[in-house]
Amino acid sequence: MTSNIRNFCIIAHIDHGKSTLADRLLQVTGTISEREMTEQVLDSMDIEREKGVTIKASAVHMDYTARDGKTYALNLIDTPGHVDFGYEVSRALNACESAVLVVDATQGIEAQTLANLYSAIDANLEIIPVINKVDLVSAVPDEVAEDISSLLGVPASSVIRVSAKAGTNVEAVLEAIVEKTPPPSGDEKAALQALVFDSHYDSYKGVIAYIRVVEGAIGATDTLRMMSTHFDLKPVEIGIFSPGMKPVKRLIAGEVGYIATGFKTVHECRVGDTITQSVNPSAAPLPGYLHPKPMVFAGIYPAEPDDYPELRDSLEKLQLNDASLTFSPETSQALGFGFRAGFLGLFHMEIIQERLEREYDLNMVFTAPTVEYEVQLRDGTTVVIDSPAALPEENQIVEVREPWMEIQVITPTDYYGPIMELVTKRRGIYKSQEYPAPHRVQLNYEIPLSEIIVDFFDELKSRTRGYASLDYQFIEYRMDKLQKLDILVNGDAVDALAAIVHQKDAFHKGQRMITKLKEIIPRQMFDVAIQASSGGRIISKAIVKAVRKDVLAKCYGGDISRKKKLLEKQKKGKKRLKMVGNVEIPQEAFMAILSLEDD
Amino acid sequence: MTITQPVSIYLHIPFCLKRCGYCDFTTFAGKDVFIPAYVEALCQEIKAVTGSINQKLAVHTIFFGGGTPSMLSLGQFGSILNILKVCFDLNWDVEISLEANPGTINLEYLKGLRELGFNRLSLGAQSTNEYELHLLGRIHTRQDIFSAFKAARIAGFSNLNVDLIYGLPGQKMNKWKKSLDEVVKLNPEHFSLYALSIEKGTPFGVLVKRGLMELPDPDRAADMYEWASEELDKTGYQQYEISNWAKNRYECIHNLQYWRNQSYLGFGAGAHGFANGMRISNVARINDYISRNGKTSDLVNDRPIGKFPMSPATVSKTSLSNHKSMQETLMLGLRLTGEGVSSRAFYERFGEDLMMVFGKDIVELEKMNLVEWSGDSLRLTKRGRLLGNQVFIRFVD
Repeated sequence: MTSNIRNFCIIAHIDHGKSTLADRLLQVTGTISEREMTEQVLDSMDIEREKGVTIKASAVHMDYTARDGKTYALNLIDTPGHVDFGYEVSRALNACESAVLVVDATQGIEAQTLANLYSAIDANLEIIPVINKVDLVSAVPDEVAEDISSLLGVPASSVIRVSAKAGTNVEAVLEAIVEKTPPPSGDEKAALQALVFDSHYDSYKGVIAYIRVVEGAIGATDTLRMMSTHFDLKPVEIGIFSPGMKPVKRLIAGEVGYIATGFKTVHECRVGDTITQSVNPSAAPLPGYLHPKPMVFAGIYPAEPDDYPELRDSLEKLQLNDASLTFSPETSQALGFGFRAGFLGLFHMEIIQERLEREYDLNMVFTAPTVEYEVQLRDGTTVVIDSPAALPEENQIVEVREPWMEIQVITPTDYYGPIMELVTKRRGIYKSQEYPAPHRVQLNYEIPLSEIIVDFFDELKSRTRGYASLDYQFIEYRMDKLQKLDILVNGDAVDALAAIVHQKDAFHKGQRMITKLKEIIPRQMFDVAIQASSGGRIISKAIVKAVRKDVLAKCYGGDISRKKKLLEKQKKGKKRLKMVGNVEIPQEAFMAILSLEDD
Repeated sequence: MTITQPVSIYLHIPFCLKRCGYCDFTTFAGKDVFIPAYVEALCQEIKAVTGSINQKLAVHTIFFGGGTPSMLSLGQFGSILNILKVCFDLNWDVEISLEANPGTINLEYLKGLRELGFNRLSLGAQSTNEYELHLLGRIHTRQDIFSAFKAARIAGFSNLNVDLIYGLPGQKMNKWKKSLDEVVKLNPEHFSLYALSIEKGTPFGVLVKRGLMELPDPDRAADMYEWASEELDKTGYQQYEISNWAKNRYECIHNLQYWRNQSYLGFGAGAHGFANGMRISNVARINDYISRNGKTSDLVNDRPIGKFPMSPATVSKTSLSNHKSMQETLMLGLRLTGEGVSSRAFYERFGEDLMMVFGKDIVELEKMNLVEWSGDSLRLTKRGRLLGNQVFIRFVD
């Protein structure tokens, strides 16, 4: 019986209230009681709750008795809300038949509203538009309804208006889900095709695959197969989320649930893969499986060399749950033994950084993020580098290619100028514009990824008073005049401070880097010369003069302990500095290139 | 436990007419009304502490610091000194020092101090420049300094110290030279020169934080220090500690006690003491200090004072391991620019070889030209005097 199943997701721009609405649906359907309700149940990681975004998708089964008197099984598939996780979003969409499109009544349509909407339309989903936060003073629901109406070609009056926070009109959303979502098609007697749309690692049951059964059926004792890796597995258990994991005997076409695979890492069970039976397998997997590719890279080094094994263990643990995180050992003259890690985007990197600090209590040095470059050499070979220090000597290079992205910026029309200026300054190329709603323009550009991983988003927000929103996709690698910017400390190039920059920016960035480092590097017991060099010449230099006076004058009335505390503090501060040669460099210096525009 | 070496006594007088802009010591303005009760509490504390040890301790220095100790009357000093005479063995040639604000003393008062036995006076002049005195928030004028100094000589003080502060915000070298030169002309026996440091929570700290006062320039302060060292050397003073200079045999014995890591007892609100292998400190608030040293014997019973040198006012106590004591001996002793730390004395005190314990750090510091050997003593180099913290941090954890 699949006619009473409704599989749906909620899509929204960040902060438009997706998770709050999800919480209300759980409450209204009695899936969880008032008492169990901690805000935003679906987001189980602390960081998600703090950042107000959903990182890992999640799924939950709700029973709802509709006004027609029938009871429906509603499966809510939660999607990650940030642009770095676009691929995971697309997988989650493929597990549904409809999408509740949430738009903030005070903000209107934004870049990820559209990006997610287009993905949902691509996935053939029925769209159920909802305006949230209608109770706020600054809400303009009529205007937003008009915008949605012209975007979707539906009457403005059909757009449901809710306040998820206050719980107003949430039932109407449930009714619309029942009414508009097509029941899943699919034949439970066909060969099994189950889409993995998310996974997490459980220390008792191994990797838990979140699945949508598209065709066929799964029994709890069947032997199953991952179609991309050909790994076979005997499920530890199968079940549904209600909202905790609840074992069942069988999952049939149309249903959403989980398989506890017993696998030790999420690599063996990747999001987007298709699961089938090892006996009578499906002839082909479901379309669209991609291996998400890291786009942004950074060095991660333990602040204390002794913490290296701990850092490695922590990265391994994080990777259990996050197949898109990659890392491999790296050695830096300046920072010692560490790792080169790859991330989907800058946001993804921030999350990993925070989790390492918070969950694993590690004190680390992150180097400035960089992209991956393709370097074609004179000997006819091409090397791929993800660290500026690894760029070969200039005389061996034919050309350097870097990843380019297409970006969509949606903004009130007033900010057209400032955005254009920002993008052009960052080597972006204007392509086209669209007007998805009155007073809103969507600007389409192509721009090197390296230009947007460094404070681009913050700049965009500040130039538009927070109104602009951004979405981006990779296009291709393109050649440009790129060269290494080296930073020399007392004559020696410091690998962890190197950057790859465009020829036209080398001078400016070199100078700003030196000014910045002069502020950051504390005075030492001797003069420290810092220089920026690029294209074979010194661009900028400065001297950090030796410290002359560093002594506590007075010890009052025999108060030794206070003097001692000050010295202990000084010693502790000194320990946090990184010794590069015989020069002590603070950790923040390795991120200095990120904030060159601050003045 | 028997203490064989003479100890020093510090008495803290936490009263001021007005707080100075840079000061973060334990002191209070406008609480003069508590002075009589406070003096009484001091006497009680002295009795309580000496009552916990069955030995009459030999004392070789007594130092009244503050605050502004010269706010106490002669009678109040008399009663404190009387108690000290009863409780300790003062039959030595005791150095009895008083810190005095030049704005609070006159000839009659100074004569009275001499009669009570005070033989060393430390004048908190800080500067001879009217503008700077005003900036610092001092209550006295430049003329008060000269008058007080003259009166002290007439009263018979033959051991005088003058405190000066350098490295004030915006202070030029010529202003500093003038202050020091003018005081050198007075010919005191001893100088304490302190670089201004901006402390959190002081009026200066607040001004700097709000951007209303510039931080003193450390390089200029270094120039001032180096100039003063040369100047004092030329005029017959010897530097014996990072901030202290004296004519021959006029070193402050009380100060030396701290740097030599020898025992001292601290009495009064917020006072610190070091004896019997522990560092202790007293409650800082005047009211708390007075009530803890209340007269009734009940109170003493309520609050068992414990082990010597703890008192009813003790609020913190750190027992030092042998290793910590060795570290502190270096951290403190290396401040003594002349005598430094003698490896023989170190061995006699701890039964361990200095180089065996700290050799690695010492060799590194020698390479950095921060410390040097003079005979069997390790001491700061001239360069090390201004970079002392780089040396001292080797001897803390």
